[in-house]
Amino acid sequence: MNDKSTWEFGTRQVVYGAIGAALYGVFSWATNILFPLPAAGNVTFRPAVAVLIFFAVAYGPWVGLLAGFIGNMIGDGLSGWGFYWNWSLGNGLMGMIPGLIVATISDFRARSTILKAVGWGTLGIIVGMLFASLTEMFVGGIDLNTALVGYFTPAFLGNLVVTVILLPILMIAFAGVAARRGR
Amino acid sequence: MLVTWKYRPRNTFIQRLDPRTRWIFLFSIILALTIPEIWDYRIVFPLFVLSLTLFFMARIEWKDVRRAFIYIFILVFFIVGLNALFFGRGGPSSVLDPSSPVLFFGVTVSKAWFAITQVTRMLTMALLAIPIPYTMDPNIYGTAFKRMGVSDKVSFTIDLAFRFLPTFARDLTITVDAQRARGYEVEKLKGGLVARIQRLAPLIIPVVMQSTVTGEEVIDAMDLRAFGTAPRSWLKELRYAARDYFMIALGVAIFITCCVLKWGFGIGGFFVPEFFTRLVT
Repeated sequence: MNDKSTWEFGTRQVVYGAIGAALYGVFSWATNILFPLPAAGNVTFRPAVAVLIFFAVAYGPWVGLLAGFIGNMIGDGLSGWGFYWNWSLGNGLMGMIPGLIVATISDFRARSTILKAVGWGTLGIIVGMLFASLTEMFVGGIDLNTALVGYFTPAFLGNLVVTVILLPILMIAFAGVAARRGR
Repeated sequence: MLVTWKYRPRNTFIQRLDPRTRWIFLFSIILALTIPEIWDYRIVFPLFVLSLTLFFMARIEWKDVRRAFIYIFILVFFIVGLNALFFGRGGPSSVLDPSSPVLFFGVTVSKAWFAITQVTRMLTMALLAIPIPYTMDPNIYGTAFKRMGVSDKVSFTIDLAFRFLPTFARDLTITVDAQRARGYEVEKLKGGLVARIQRLAPLIIPVVMQSTVTGEEVIDAMDLRAFGTAPRSWLKELRYAARDYFMIALGVAIFITCCVLKWGFGIGGFFVPEFFTRLVT
């Protein structure tokens, strides 16, 4: 998992990090403003998260980290919500963790690969959203209960639902594109 | 559909500041309140007034920030404020002082004052964060991060992401229009939650897959120009002016003062002022 190709940071990672960030920003904005999905309580569903995890799985942890961090900054900027460093970093971690399996993936269509991607994506969501929620304890002075119930749980549930539904579709579609492109 | 930045050039003191100054000042205030754990209203309230003043100096119209403020208010007042008011959790242990007079339903004077302080504290930070997308030119983010010591590649990723944005927004527009022409009704996503998320796939998949193809072409172009083999030069130059030094010094001074007051003199912790106790009891 820690071989050279996993942590390589070259032109490919720069470009796909930027593309992932721009897409994350555009889709976050689109589902915030253009076609909002239903929300239960303060649980919001952001399909952009599935795109972020897909980029991480396909292109590695640096791409996931940068796409999540910059993409969250762009999405919040487009929606006019300001800049919150801990949530941007949390989104970056949410992208970085599933990127750790990049070197182990050969067939994006295989059921085992898809399950592995969803599993690592879930782990990424837990780590990323937990980081953002728990740092709110220091930044905002909230207690652990509010951090877990008011912040983490809604963010985790919303992101998990879109990942489970959309990530497999993205991976299968990508398998076709990658096969045609030949690299 | 047009993706537009909230940014508009305005001839204000805030926009004349170097973007690095804005970031440094924002983080100075966040660190000043969080590292020494400041809860004293004599420090929190003046910082709130400072943030509010800077926010008004940015001259952002209310209609632009209304959405952001509604979201922030719901989060701060209902999720955090009410929790602090009824349970008093999150702050120092003195908030749960059992000798504090009870006002109603288990809400004590101490918890009520803590809720006010906490909401003010969070708004102090939010008031500095909200204006950033409205007052900072998106073209300068990459340069600003580079000049703050971030590596060329990461700074270029930031720069490139902002450049890609209009392209992907246009791709999304084209995809939405194409799907509409096939009878897809974006505004009427029917069915349960799962079905509604699934039905977004015809919009998301084409844009994402097209972007992966675009990426390969950009990589080839950049590799042909030997990207990453030598340090980059940046078109935009940033220079600090006297006002930038003043704001950076102010931010750093606030941070140092908070640390010295708290750790050197024991000032800055939570306590309920006498006037508030008299007012509510």
